[in-house]
Amino acid sequence: MGKTLKDTLLGTLVHGEEVLEDIRVLRKVSQDKITEGNEADARIAPLHAKVLHLVVSAIIDTGKNAKVIRLSGTEGYLPPFEAGQYINLFTEIDGVRTSRPYSISSSPRQRGYYEITVARSACGFVSDYLLDEVKVGDAFTANGPAGVFRYQPVFHSKKSLFLAGGSGITPFLSMTREVLEAHLDRDIVLLYGCRNEQAALYHEELGAYAEAYPDFRYHLVISDNVSGWTGETGFLDGAHITRLVPDYKERTCYICGPQVMNEFCQRELEALGVPEKRIRRELFGACKNIEKEAGWPAELTGGEVFHVTVGNRTIEALANEPILVALERAGIRVNVCCRSGECSLCRVKLVAGKVFLSKGMMLRKADEQYGYIHSCKAYPISDVSILL
Amino acid sequence: MNEYDVIIIGAGNGGLASAATLAELDKRVLVFEKHNIPGGCGTSFRRGRFEFEVALHQLSSMGTPEKPGPLREQFRRYGIESEIEWIEIKELFRVNFPDGTGVSIPADRKACEAYLMEQFPAEKDAILRYFETVYAFADESAKFADASAKSTGEPGALKKAVMKLLFPKMYPTLARYGLKSTQEVLDEFFTSPKLQLALSAYWCFMGMPPERFPWSILAKCTNIYMEDKPFYLRGTSMMMNQAIMESIRRMGGEVRLNLGVKKLLLESGKAVGVVDDNGMEYRAKKIVSNISPLATYGALLEPEEVPAVAREYLKPYTVGISAITCFIGLDCTPEEIGFTTSFTLNYESFDANKDFQDAYKLLPEHDPLVATCYTVDDPAVSPKGTSIITAGTLKYGTEWEKLSPEQYYEMKYEAGRRIVARLEAMYPGFTSHIEEMEIATPLTHMRYLNHPGGAIYGYEQDLLNSVFFFPAESKIPNLEFASGWVNACGFGPNYLFADKLAKRIAREV
Repeated sequence: MGKTLKDTLLGTLVHGEEVLEDIRVLRKVSQDKITEGNEADARIAPLHAKVLHLVVSAIIDTGKNAKVIRLSGTEGYLPPFEAGQYINLFTEIDGVRTSRPYSISSSPRQRGYYEITVARSACGFVSDYLLDEVKVGDAFTANGPAGVFRYQPVFHSKKSLFLAGGSGITPFLSMTREVLEAHLDRDIVLLYGCRNEQAALYHEELGAYAEAYPDFRYHLVISDNVSGWTGETGFLDGAHITRLVPDYKERTCYICGPQVMNEFCQRELEALGVPEKRIRRELFGACKNIEKEAGWPAELTGGEVFHVTVGNRTIEALANEPILVALERAGIRVNVCCRSGECSLCRVKLVAGKVFLSKGMMLRKADEQYGYIHSCKAYPISDVSILL
Repeated sequence: MNEYDVIIIGAGNGGLASAATLAELDKRVLVFEKHNIPGGCGTSFRRGRFEFEVALHQLSSMGTPEKPGPLREQFRRYGIESEIEWIEIKELFRVNFPDGTGVSIPADRKACEAYLMEQFPAEKDAILRYFETVYAFADESAKFADASAKSTGEPGALKKAVMKLLFPKMYPTLARYGLKSTQEVLDEFFTSPKLQLALSAYWCFMGMPPERFPWSILAKCTNIYMEDKPFYLRGTSMMMNQAIMESIRRMGGEVRLNLGVKKLLLESGKAVGVVDDNGMEYRAKKIVSNISPLATYGALLEPEEVPAVAREYLKPYTVGISAITCFIGLDCTPEEIGFTTSFTLNYESFDANKDFQDAYKLLPEHDPLVATCYTVDDPAVSPKGTSIITAGTLKYGTEWEKLSPEQYYEMKYEAGRRIVARLEAMYPGFTSHIEEMEIATPLTHMRYLNHPGGAIYGYEQDLLNSVFFFPAESKIPNLEFASGWVNACGFGPNYLFADKLAKRIAREV
């Protein structure tokens, strides 16, 4: 059989015959490169599994209206994580599939399990379930570990200032445990704002760390008026920072706590002249009392019910609940991870109607131009129509 | 209900453009994308106050509104040209040498010739001859491509013999340089290593060092960027791909995000449809795969369904290079740290080929460093007083795949530290301005692109894998490929390739 026209013509090029011969040889000696299944997926899974299959291996009551839930991998293996990261835990409660992000509170050096710490909250649909119903042996799926609230050694200061509020202590616990247990070359000051000593999670453990390690200092700041308390009082603010952490300007500051505390601490740091690059914040979950956020339409109480149209379905949604929650309640599956407006997995297109976008939603410019929103922090303030 | 003219697997550049062209031609199209956003490589992500571009440096083939290039015309047809703010980039690139000097190349032939002749007076004539050759090559390639497009089927032996004789006479530059490496051609023209490095910088767009980079790609790149000008756009490549997706929907096509395809359906060896991740079946006259041929055959078919000819056909092709990239947001302007050209290539020595060898190692060592400051050409790319720089090196994924998961984060930060140290040496004070920073390794690319080796340009873009030898043929009837794995990888080439492919498919369905 003669050569094809292509090979005939290529043969006339300088190096043509050499290149064609190379290819003929390669064809003969090379291995078949079509593998079975998805090679890339399989290789990446030990680092970033698409889904984590977890089983509750222990539940530890902290005695503070909070429990530590220890989660092991069903297959024994869990991907490594960076201290400060979270997993998004899926639950099915009364037929409703939803999820919540929980910071991992155990040390990343502890490779056998992840621990999350679940605290009781006022209207905690999921936390009540995790605290009251879950038992050892129960199985869960989760995604993650994910998130960028962590020490970034290339440009963060080796000196850290941790500002924690309430259950926002959990990522700091993981960070502190890692640094201290592995004797890393770091220096940490932790200021922990809580209502009272009784509510301060891990207070005793953190106090013991502070006594044992000179590179770790810890101050609990309580806001309730408690007789007999001789420690720091009031709301964690700039005055505490300047007095307790005089070298705060050399530190990278990390804030994690309820939205109000989070924003307050950021303003306090900014007022002290700490530049943006030195302030890292973790926002977890949707804001409570969204109707109190600046920009919320004055004519709405939050209790209004609107219609959300998704394809050929129309569901009801409360004005003060994220659209994501309404979708989950109706059994409509939406991709989700951070539930805090950042990761964009729950992105939907707003086709018609008005929504209130809570602060901290990290949209791309293309989202703004073409009407995409993150449903975890978008509230319906009229009847709306969306596209998944 | 679930019947379409064409089903497209993957909403990357090739998938989106083929879907848009097919929808424009009134075909019923359905695009599946397993990610939550369209774009594939052409994407962006947010950190703090910044939105980082992931892939696009310079969009080619746009041309100006007055003298539109083929891509601008394609975007006009999609109705998206006017939706986007295009930013013309004035300089092609700057090459920085280890002795502290550098050369910036203007995006204009005459200005470039004049500048280089001034910088390298001893090689004046060679510079002029070189650009003559670049343009002649581009011209002959275009003519030959036109002629090939018109020809039908294999000619007889006699006609072949005649064409064999005529070809080198009709296309002398193509015949002489079509299969030469960049290094060979530059050695033929120039003696100054600086001048050679200044003219070959686009090798890094394809991830092949000058001695392995086909000069034909360099010549076409140089010609296209000088004639049609390099462009960027406001809102990152995500804006462009979202715009195409909206256009597909406007023209009646369907795009399903968050939904992947798990199976390609064959009947009597022909592609007839797909099954989505939820198990739902869809039928179509043609299936366009915008994922790699390896994953198409390997992951969407049972091993016994893969045609032996497909295995044979793909055998000689080598999976290409990946990269380590640092995405950096600075709290200062580019001027404050001394960044003047958006796209820079920075050398540790005058031997690019030798330095490139470090691409096979785990960490950045003497690897040439590519750094792009998007703020130079568009100050609005990030908040006032800040800037965005992406900097990194090309890297093969092999050594990264060998790491145990426990070693991964440490190595990732070490890679980032080394890249920032290189930038700090060039731009003193750089590190103190970092406000946000994210590091992508070959494994990051593998995770998001799902490509073997974390390949960012598909197969190796060398003389044996690319140009005349792209593996564009499908070995299953009614299945077609549209990704950068089967043609010149890059935004412009891929959109144009997919447009052409879609027009052919439209005639067949």
